Amino acid sequence: MTDILRSWIGGALPDWLIVLIAYLLVTTIVLFYAVGNFIMMVWAERRVVARMQDRLGPNRVGPAGLLQPIADAVKMFTKEDIVPRNADRWVHLLAPIVALAPVAMMLAVIPWGRGWEPVDLNVALLYMVAVSAVSGVGLMMAGWGSNNKFALLGAMRAVAQLVSYEIPAVTALLTVVILAGGMSLLELPYMQAGVPIMGATILCGDPAGCSPLLYSTITSFPGSPNEPVQALDLGLGWWVFTPVGFLGFLVFFIAALAEGERTPFDIPEADSEIVAGYMTEYSGMKFATFYIAQYILNFALSALAATAFLGGWQGPGVAALANMGGPWVHVAAALSAFYLLAKIWILFFVMIWLRGAFPRLRVDQLMDFAWKLLLPLALVNIVSASLMVGLTQWTSAQWGGLISLDGFAPWQRQLIAVLVTAIINIAAAYWILAINQRPKQVEWDEEELIAAS
Amino acid sequence: MTTEIQTETTEAQTTRGKVYVIDRGRTKLRAGQGLLTGLEVVFRHFRDALTRKLEKPSQQTGVFTVQYPEERLKLPEAFRNFPILLYDDETGQELCTSCFQCQRICPPQVIHMTQARDPATGKPVPAVAEFLIEYDACMSCGLCAEVCPFDAIKMDHEFEYSTDVHGGLTLNKEALNRPISYYEKIAPTFWAEVKDSAMKKLQGNMKRRPDLIGVAPQMVEKIRAQRAAAAAQAPSPTPATPEAAPADKAARLAAARARAAEKAAEATPEPAPDSAPIDKAARLAAIRAANAAKKAEGAADEVAAPATDSAPTDKAARLAAIRAANAAKKAAAEGAPAAGSADFASTPSDAAPAADAAPPASGMPADKAARLAAIRAADAAKKAAAEGAAPASDAAPPASGMPADKAARLAAIRAANAAKKAAAQRDGSEE
Repeated sequence: MTDILRSWIGGALPDWLIVLIAYLLVTTIVLFYAVGNFIMMVWAERRVVARMQDRLGPNRVGPAGLLQPIADAVKMFTKEDIVPRNADRWVHLLAPIVALAPVAMMLAVIPWGRGWEPVDLNVALLYMVAVSAVSGVGLMMAGWGSNNKFALLGAMRAVAQLVSYEIPAVTALLTVVILAGGMSLLELPYMQAGVPIMGATILCGDPAGCSPLLYSTITSFPGSPNEPVQALDLGLGWWVFTPVGFLGFLVFFIAALAEGERTPFDIPEADSEIVAGYMTEYSGMKFATFYIAQYILNFALSALAATAFLGGWQGPGVAALANMGGPWVHVAAALSAFYLLAKIWILFFVMIWLRGAFPRLRVDQLMDFAWKLLLPLALVNIVSASLMVGLTQWTSAQWGGLISLDGFAPWQRQLIAVLVTAIINIAAAYWILAINQRPKQVEWDEEELIAAS
Repeated sequence: MTTEIQTETTEAQTTRGKVYVIDRGRTKLRAGQGLLTGLEVVFRHFRDALTRKLEKPSQQTGVFTVQYPEERLKLPEAFRNFPILLYDDETGQELCTSCFQCQRICPPQVIHMTQARDPATGKPVPAVAEFLIEYDACMSCGLCAEVCPFDAIKMDHEFEYSTDVHGGLTLNKEALNRPISYYEKIAPTFWAEVKDSAMKKLQGNMKRRPDLIGVAPQMVEKIRAQRAAAAAQAPSPTPATPEAAPADKAARLAAARARAAEKAAEATPEPAPDSAPIDKAARLAAIRAANAAKKAEGAADEVAAPATDSAPTDKAARLAAIRAANAAKKAAAEGAPAAGSADFASTPSDAAPAADAAPPASGMPADKAARLAAIRAADAAKKAAAEGAAPASDAAPPASGMPADKAARLAAIRAANAAKKAAAQRDGSEE
């Protein structure tokens, strides 16, 4: 964006102003993109969950009820803004802002399309995790500032849930860091090029005879000694197709549901049981701000899950269009942006689907699930991810002579790694599920008991 | 992982009605299989809700929403909301005879009615003059419809009555009236069950309703026009015309009855000389009735008969004949007392013209009215005379051109007035 502005009005304005305008523009676009998606998500959620319950959902305002979010917004704007008399006025006011701001900040580092990233941060994953944790402070402020014991209890439950689920979420993301060899979100989609399961390991034998529509240049691992290679690229080398990525994705997505307070983890604001938890004392636009924050958090977490495990903007045709060069690069960028959006929406659909299907967990079940199931699985997955990297990337010297895979072709090494990690992950999953089974109920033999007594 | 679940349930007919057997799938599910089964069920609902509507109860999936103002479910026949009144489509005659059964049984007492009366005689007729139901307090119990012996009041299917005008929910007869065809449409089998008896009863009641009494207010104009049209059609020479034939027949019947009455009057033994005028009067009435009947017959032959005359003439003729016969019988039966009362007014001789000239709606025998009037006049005159007032002579029955009973009543009123006046004058002079 900065470059485009420079080329247009480079001479007329000082460079710092151009940079400022460029970033303001990018920020505006990203925020509008997110809010537009938020509006569509509210509508889609109501429509889809209605169909799951054999209903029609909102269908009166505008065609197919599409203007329903607008009507809701008008309603929200016209509502009275109530502040409890003994509330901490400033904390009460700031809480929704503190909840929304970090969520909006998360959007800054996500690569929305091929070459469409607002900020290239080399610790983007760390930034995401750190910033998303801040919104917990907003929830606590809301509960505390309301001067309402139920709001405070709700806030404490919400924060306890956020903190609990951050650990499996971050541990699951750690597998991505291990696989990618870095924390840059920008690099992730490029690394998920190739074909399912095998990734970018099917190399071009004859560099002259490989069509640029099928093969593209891949740098498999940042800092790896391997040279860039020409590999078969269908844009489907998503990590979710490998055992490590699959388990990591499952754990991360479930944890993201809890962080985004989606059913079955919507305990903090369980609308059918408690009075919206920490949002009890909020009305009008402040309430709407929490609502927006929650949906945009879901949007950002879906985008993160899609980028980390589902290839981000990667998809069939993107690399081919990009390799054609010239104006096709922009078409590739648009197509890639569409792919990412489609993945986000599929994940969002799954969220709605889960909401339609599952009841809410109890608090103890919630904690059990995080600490007894998700965290062990994520920890095992870190081992698997390390093995995966070792088996596919490390040279014999790096292994210290323990294992020598130097003679194998990349696809052979990938296959070995996939098999090994699959065995480890499946075995671990079975084992962890087995030890989490409810203890068998002892069947008392009544006659024996009577005889004994 | 997921278990097989049949999309459709099976229906089984048992002695206790239809039973829907739902396959619940496998019950033993382990390690997340239940979660996946749940997801599968929900997705099936989602997919089917996009493509089809829930139409029969054995279907498990599909949209069940009915978008009410645009879409409506077919109401069952036995659905009931508020009562309505029925009238016959062709004749416009209301089925209600104002028997007050519904008013009596109505638990919240929201039904009110007035019986119709013959305007000429003041006697009640089996029809309802006004009918009010307060829909706002109606509890839709349907007891009125159940109790109605004439199937005149039925429960409607219409339920959209919300309004901001409270009084607008008190409906009068015109608002309550619906044609039978409407009820037949909403409850065909229910109407078929009672149709024959209801129509038979209506035919019977129609005979006792003079003129347009008992015709639904919204149908009055139409029926009047229909009758006029029927009258215009009647003169057509072909007796096949349904309107012309009865008129002709009625006229002939009237004549025959009049003749029979005449014979009967002649045949009665004459015990006293006083009875002669009675006999004479009866004969006169019979002759006049026969004349009227003849006239009706003649009118039927005329091509350019006045439009409104034909039907009334026929009816009037029949009526006159019947009355004449009645008067003759009565006169014969009463004998001496009737003759005795002839001192005050020339009752029997006037009875025949009275019967003849009486409006067709008249239910009371004219001679009785005339007698009553005469008695009243005499009383007034006596009273006036006793009080010493001069103008008592006014009480004498005047102009014979007027129908006797009317004249007599007029005379009585005048006499009474005169007496009062006299009394007032006397009071004034005393003071």
